[in-house]
Amino acid sequence: MIMICPGCSCLCDDITIKDGKIFNACRRGEEIFGRYKENRARAMVDGKEVDVDAAIGKAVEILKEAKNPAIYGLDTTVVEAQKLAVELAEKLNAYIDDNSSFCLGELVEAVLKKEMPTATLDDVRDNAYVIIYWGSNPFHSLPRHMSRYSYYPRGAKRPRGYDEDRYLVVVDVRKSETAVLAKKNAKFIQVDDDAELVDSFFKAMDGKAAKYAQDVGIILNEMKKADFNVIFGGLGLKYGLKDLKMFVELVKKLNEVAPVYFIPAGFHANMRGFNETLFEKTGYVNKYSFRDGSSDDSFAFTELLMNEKIDAALIVGTDPIYSLPHDVSAKLGKIKTIVVDPRMSFTARVADVVIPSAISGIEMSGTMVRSDGVRIKLEAIEEREVNDIHILKKIMEGL
Amino acid sequence: MRFSKFLKVEADIVVARYSLLMVETKSSVEPVIFLHPEFAKKSGVKEGDVVEVEANGRTVKLKAKLSENAPENGGIIPNGIFASYLTNFEGFKRFKANIEVAEGEPTDVEEIIKSFKS
Amino acid sequence: MALNPMDIYKLLPKTNCKKCGEATCMSFAFKLLNREKRLEDCKPLYEDKKYERQRKKLEEMLKPLEEATETGLIVNEDLCVGCGNCVVVCPVHVEKDPKGAAVGNGPTIDDPILRVEDGVVKVINMQACRRYGKNRVLCVVCRENCPTDAIRFLEG
Repeated sequence: MIMICPGCSCLCDDITIKDGKIFNACRRGEEIFGRYKENRARAMVDGKEVDVDAAIGKAVEILKEAKNPAIYGLDTTVVEAQKLAVELAEKLNAYIDDNSSFCLGELVEAVLKKEMPTATLDDVRDNAYVIIYWGSNPFHSLPRHMSRYSYYPRGAKRPRGYDEDRYLVVVDVRKSETAVLAKKNAKFIQVDDDAELVDSFFKAMDGKAAKYAQDVGIILNEMKKADFNVIFGGLGLKYGLKDLKMFVELVKKLNEVAPVYFIPAGFHANMRGFNETLFEKTGYVNKYSFRDGSSDDSFAFTELLMNEKIDAALIVGTDPIYSLPHDVSAKLGKIKTIVVDPRMSFTARVADVVIPSAISGIEMSGTMVRSDGVRIKLEAIEEREVNDIHILKKIMEGL
Repeated sequence: MRFSKFLKVEADIVVARYSLLMVETKSSVEPVIFLHPEFAKKSGVKEGDVVEVEANGRTVKLKAKLSENAPENGGIIPNGIFASYLTNFEGFKRFKANIEVAEGEPTDVEEIIKSFKS
Repeated sequence: MALNPMDIYKLLPKTNCKKCGEATCMSFAFKLLNREKRLEDCKPLYEDKKYERQRKKLEEMLKPLEEATETGLIVNEDLCVGCGNCVVVCPVHVEKDPKGAAVGNGPTIDDPILRVEDGVVKVINMQACRRYGKNRVLCVVCRENCPTDAIRFLEG
């Protein structure tokens, strides 16, 4: 059986399950395929076990009574469920947001608005020469990213292997595992402030002196040798730069020197799917208010929570207690929370309502969007009736 | 009792994903911090020590491990509930913390969950 | 920790007694490392009580040899995230599996040298490795592209 792995935004399509063994999946993927039956969520209302329909019924009641509800999460579910969630938000006149509002949403938006040239990972494998990982350590976040798509594979126009046909650049505040791999035909730039490196690129292109002028000069010269170079930006880039517009401008300006493409290196399997789904509907990628008909920083789920602007939240497939700063997640206690999740997540354990769902890609078929925008169809191992689509439909009917 | 027990040091903390610790099942989280070997040496922390990490007015106790991949003047806390407990959006992926060797066991994740159940 | 013949030599009797079949203790040390000789081949080490302490040290030192494959490759699964760098860079895979490992996929051949199974790298077919057999070359490409030392070789 050949499967697609829903473990991260690489969506590896060569996972083979045979004789009780899982082949080719990285450690993260193996854990999903090998342990998907563990720590499963149970239907709960106010900490007591109930049946699924009762939990859905209670969720409907909460959403009906809420004055300012928000829908949040959705980065690990399939596009088909994301579409339903957007419809539900519209029906409720609610806010809708995902993790990308504090991850790479801004950069994905710039890509979707064509402010930066982008490419697919398959293009990267076949063509890319200079490959920059900026604020990203794929070794841990996207373990097979480098071996499947970027630095290591032989490509149509890059047949001779990484040490001759590729040039690797790693930008980080520390010597990450990926930085350790930057040896021959490669450069590791350890930054303290990413803005200084952006500045150095601008200045070097204008022939001026700058902090990283020497390194940048070498990289620019390498870029000129090729008709295809790529920058992968991760969370380190997002949080290293106060102003991402500066980065978008940099990519534009680099393209005056040589072709340079940008691809976001976000983690969640279908974060890009959420961004694209909402973008198609509203023209914005996240933090959207159907009541206001617009997107704004103050509509980010984290801001809404912090400023106590919402009274109920439908949280789908994400675990804010695990992933959000405590000041923010502590405010969950002040509102009604409905968690839809396959696992008994930390947030599920303190939620008012828990609706157990199926694991997307393993127990529910559907579409996900890879980090580069390629749409991929996932086939479940075994379909589970109560999945995100079923639950969202039932809630919709109940309203 | 060691003298380093009384030594509080400022550390650069980076929050990063760490694939060698299992988190997909969301059932448990290892309370761990990966300190740079030189920082650990300088601060009197040995591999396996329990250290108290304080930032933004909150404190957790984590087990110290060593990693060359950590920032030279500090450590990595894997992305997850302990890092989230300490951080805020100002320094979501990178912040300063005070570290000192502590006695007792690392923080039980249940204690953090409890703080959410009012 | 990398093993080197000098460290082994220092703990041998250094008498060049030739009982092991080698001309010198130094060449015995080399053969130990290549696993062409076993420590037990050094008779004095086991017969003479005065070497007991050295023998124990040597036994400890040579333990990794037993864990290592025939080419001296040692895999520490605890450090492996299954990134597959080693599988994809292996020159033998590139040659034999142009549509699989060479282009970044999991191996499509039945007998790859390395393969990621259940999330970590496993040694499947060491005989195909360039380090194996009489005309071996000391290729280290897989190790060079493993940033956590999950893959090591005896010589370091």
